[in-house]
Amino acid sequence: MIPTPEISWIAILPEIVLAVGAALVLLVEVQWKPNAGTLGMVAAVTVVFAAAFSVLQWFQAADEVTFGDGTGLIVFSGLVLMDGFAVFGRFALLAVTGFGLLAGWQYLEGLGRRGAEAIAMLLLATTGFSIMVASNNLVMMFLGLEVGSIALYVLAGMSRERARSDEAAIKYFLLGSFASAIFVYGVALLFAGTGQLEILEIRRFLAQNVVLSPAVILIGLGLVIVGLGFKVSAAPFHSWAPDVYQGAPGGVVGYMAAMAKIAGFVAMFRILLTGLGSLELRWLPIAAGIAALSMLLGSTLALVQGDVRRMLAYSGVAHAGFIMTGVVGGSSTSVLFYLAVYALQLVGSFAVVAAVSGPANSESPIDSYRGLYRRSPVLAVSFAILLLGMAGLPVTSGFIAKFGVFADAWSNGFEWLVVVAVLASVIAFAFYLRIIVVMYMDESDVADVAVSSTIRLVLAAAVVSTIVWGVLPGSLLDLAADALPL
Amino acid sequence: MLTWLILLPVASAFVVALVPRRRTEVHLPLGVALSVLPLALAAYVFYVFEPVAGYQFTESQTWYEPWGISWSLGIDGISLPMVLLTTLLVPIALGASTSITKRPKEFVVNTLLLEAGMIGVFLSLDLFLFFIFFEVILVPMYFIIGIWGSERRVYAAMKFFIYTAFGSALMLAGIIALAVTHADQFGNASFALSDLMGVELGPGAERWLFAAFAIAFAIKVPLFPLHTWLPDAHTEAPTAGSILLAGVLLKLGTYGLLRFNLSLFPGASVDAIWIMGALAVVGVIYGAVVAIVQPDLKKLVAYSSVSHLGFIVLGIFALTSGGLQGAVIQNVNHGLTTGALFLLVGMIYERRHTKQISELGGLRKVMPIYAGFFLFMIFASIGLPGLNGFVGEFLILIGSFASLPVLAVIAASGVILAAIYLLWAYERVFTGVPDREENRALSDLTLREVSLLAPMAALVLVLGLYPAVLLDKIAPSTESVLDHIEANTDYRVPEPGRLADVYVAGGQR
Repeated sequence: MIPTPEISWIAILPEIVLAVGAALVLLVEVQWKPNAGTLGMVAAVTVVFAAAFSVLQWFQAADEVTFGDGTGLIVFSGLVLMDGFAVFGRFALLAVTGFGLLAGWQYLEGLGRRGAEAIAMLLLATTGFSIMVASNNLVMMFLGLEVGSIALYVLAGMSRERARSDEAAIKYFLLGSFASAIFVYGVALLFAGTGQLEILEIRRFLAQNVVLSPAVILIGLGLVIVGLGFKVSAAPFHSWAPDVYQGAPGGVVGYMAAMAKIAGFVAMFRILLTGLGSLELRWLPIAAGIAALSMLLGSTLALVQGDVRRMLAYSGVAHAGFIMTGVVGGSSTSVLFYLAVYALQLVGSFAVVAAVSGPANSESPIDSYRGLYRRSPVLAVSFAILLLGMAGLPVTSGFIAKFGVFADAWSNGFEWLVVVAVLASVIAFAFYLRIIVVMYMDESDVADVAVSSTIRLVLAAAVVSTIVWGVLPGSLLDLAADALPL
Repeated sequence: MLTWLILLPVASAFVVALVPRRRTEVHLPLGVALSVLPLALAAYVFYVFEPVAGYQFTESQTWYEPWGISWSLGIDGISLPMVLLTTLLVPIALGASTSITKRPKEFVVNTLLLEAGMIGVFLSLDLFLFFIFFEVILVPMYFIIGIWGSERRVYAAMKFFIYTAFGSALMLAGIIALAVTHADQFGNASFALSDLMGVELGPGAERWLFAAFAIAFAIKVPLFPLHTWLPDAHTEAPTAGSILLAGVLLKLGTYGLLRFNLSLFPGASVDAIWIMGALAVVGVIYGAVVAIVQPDLKKLVAYSSVSHLGFIVLGIFALTSGGLQGAVIQNVNHGLTTGALFLLVGMIYERRHTKQISELGGLRKVMPIYAGFFLFMIFASIGLPGLNGFVGEFLILIGSFASLPVLAVIAASGVILAAIYLLWAYERVFTGVPDREENRALSDLTLREVSLLAPMAALVLVLGLYPAVLLDKIAPSTESVLDHIEANTDYRVPEPGRLADVYVAGGQR
């Protein structure tokens, strides 16, 4: 009798829940044609259950075998990992999904019959990225990346009737598939060079063997960085971001941007530091170069944007640079903290954008924020706190996040990168302040802005987390410090 | 207790924020009343403060263990006068803001939060905590200039913010470098000032770090040539903003140089005395010369700040007892006199809606009390013996003559230039007959305005006649700074630059 291997279902339970939830949303829609609220409840329950299972995973992973730094479980013959790093990343993804649903609710509701598709796509995107952050096998990772990305392309083009949305979707799709192809080519070369597809096996291979001509591995490494660099919109692979951020439906942009950043950086960290850590002398300069370029280019270009969404897109490029600085610093704690903090601020900021310029609209000129403090104090105050948080002002979580990655990069010997980073953050201050100036210092007679209760909820969560994690950073940093990759 | 000094203004800000928006008549008086509480507490701290070296009332609470950051506060003879000055100027600045009708609630809240941040800067003994306060005060000040300023306020606020944020960004890199070096050498993470003072730095690294900190503080001071944000910020800021900007915010720079640059990088500080001293003296002369030709009364006072702050920096980098004591007490003096001058300029602006010297004239005839206060403060600013300015400038000049004689001589001419621009301005504004119709109709100071100016004038006189009331508490701390420098470098304070020299010579020991 052939012994059946024990299957640790818990490792993929959140993904199963998410996929089932997505299917359920579509089925319920076809069968009962309920109102949007019911579908929303199904999605919410899905996210809550997935999150509950990730909490379970967190405690289970902590009790498991230790490899490298972290503790965790390798399941499905090495395809999937269940370590603190993956679980933390997954939890961040789920939080973004929950808040993304709330922030985009007005939009999703307004889609009418297509709302179910959008909600299902949203859950599928989360499924994909959730697989990605837990992958040990590079092909598995690619699979997750594609599931997530394709769902995002669809979401970007959800407002078919608007040319901008179509343009954004096509652009995102073409460039995104191109980047995926580059990534998978890189994976192939890594396989060719090491004979392994599993990240932990690649690490072992490189530790036990001396690679005389690492050219193939290095080219593979470079291609993987390019592919993931595109997903996280790091310069010089960022050119799609402003158009997509502007064109995609306002309700879901924040979600799209935050998801890609979290999953992309978690994957990048795993491949570069866990898998190819022994080659770090080769890739550190590349990563540092990308980080510096992203920070400077992103901050500078954001200065000259007249549209808040484009500004946030370029600021996203700069943030990719800051997180990349954390990758250069080599500490998973700072990277995870930064990702969690930034993701919530991003979702919150785009919730404000959706409230000000309408959930489906794609134009959000800075003029439409004129005198916002008078028209809607809630929006203006929250937006100001979130912007200052993204700028990295002390007492907000953004400062702690920036400080963490800077300190790591400095102690890892990249002093010049930290100097570039602090200067870039000053430039960044200028454009965040520009929005605040318009909101507070200009007067306007334009009508008041209505803020839906779901958006209020998102803003409350984003603002409270920005301040609490800024004042008591230990509350999240301790968790991030425990979330070590295997 | 020191925590309460920071929390009181924050709590007050919350209280004011809870008052409904439409009760506009409540906000300002409530703010003034609440801001007297920190003043009372600071006065109590001053009263029980022992005149010895070292920090008193220290408290330390671990904030985030793995990073080694802590909420650690303490007060010594260098920070004590600054805390007193801050808590004194805030009620005065608020009391001077009755003309603010636009969103008074937000104005009071901003000012109180600003106060909390400023006090926090002076009390922090942890560099991480210090940086947080140092950076966070930019936001309320930015709003005060940007919302309640005059026409070009947005430009001035942005310029102020970017300049200072640029400086603090470099300092942040410096703080990280220090902490990382400390962790490498001692194995534990710490941002405590006392721990970081023990870090062994190579001469190269020490100079870089000195530069990173010095640039941040020099922008705040502002030291020539980094001063260009100041005239804009001052001219555009509302009166309260100008008072706090000149009175306290600029002192963050001189305080930082004294507290952090001298203690953390003694070697580099000794090497830099000529550079810093020369820049300071250039500032003294440049500020004074530019002030002479200003047609705008407020700009004139702003440039006089550049000149006066140059004196303070000169005193710090003289590295003598007189220089350091003079610098600390001159911090207070400048805060009082320049704060009062900005207040006075604000009063005339509220009446005449102009700050142009050429449009004023003969005001002494119509506003005798106002003219009296103005002249008094001008004399204090020039450094007339018997008033506080004299004590500070005299100590600084004596102190710097021992170590930087050439610079001291040049700087002394700044005193003469100060007499020129201030007295000339007084002549043009106050003497003669009021030839313009608008000037003839001006009313003299109200009781409220006199009650704002009177305490400042009284302190100017007290500190001028009996400076020992402050100097006794300052001296032990400045002496310990010099001890620290002498212990860590080859530098020896030239005779008779130490307080001990003077006392021994005078036979008092």
